[in-house]
Amino acid sequence: MVLFSFLVSTFFAALWRRTFRDQVVLFFQLFLGMVLGGLVIAWLMYPFPAGPPAPIP
Amino acid sequence: MTDESEPQAAQEREPEPRGNPMLAAVAAWLVPGAGHMILGRWRRGLLFLVLVGVSLAVGLALDGKLWHITRGQPLSYLGTFACAGLGIPYFVLRFAMHYQGDLVSQGYEYGAAFILTGGLMNLLLILDAWDIARGLKE
Repeated sequence: MVLFSFLVSTFFAALWRRTFRDQVVLFFQLFLGMVLGGLVIAWLMYPFPAGPPAPIP
Repeated sequence: MTDESEPQAAQEREPEPRGNPMLAAVAAWLVPGAGHMILGRWRRGLLFLVLVGVSLAVGLALDGKLWHITRGQPLSYLGTFACAGLGIPYFVLRFAMHYQGDLVSQGYEYGAAFILTGGLMNLLLILDAWDIARGLKE
């Protein structure tokens, strides 16, 4: 999740911003948003049972 | 409107092309980052090449799924479109190496997410290269 967030954040920071400062700001916004958001969603899903594994087709 | 401001306004309306948009788009599709490189954005092109390449490499290391069209599964069309956004690497993996991923691997779905993301990132790069070539973007 951290590696995925790093790659995607770097990509969009380079794609959407031109100055280095703006790129760094957007990178941290996206990166922290994805990592912390993922942890929050995982915490919210904790009470729900995982269920049996999906059958292999 | 004065005579002096008229050419300036026309210049603002019509962006100046910086290259061949079709060539840039095709190059960007075939090789990630190549569209930016042929437009003179070497550093950004190399960065995009590395990012898409790492995403694909991680997906392959996890034995992730490489989507292909499956009859009766409409979602496979979208997945294939996203993966085919990788350009040459997709076709090499699909048709030369017959790569499909390892279904029983623990990283099968995670790897698929990385491969799909690499393809989708490259599709955005195609649009970006097109806009830069047309002068709509820096």
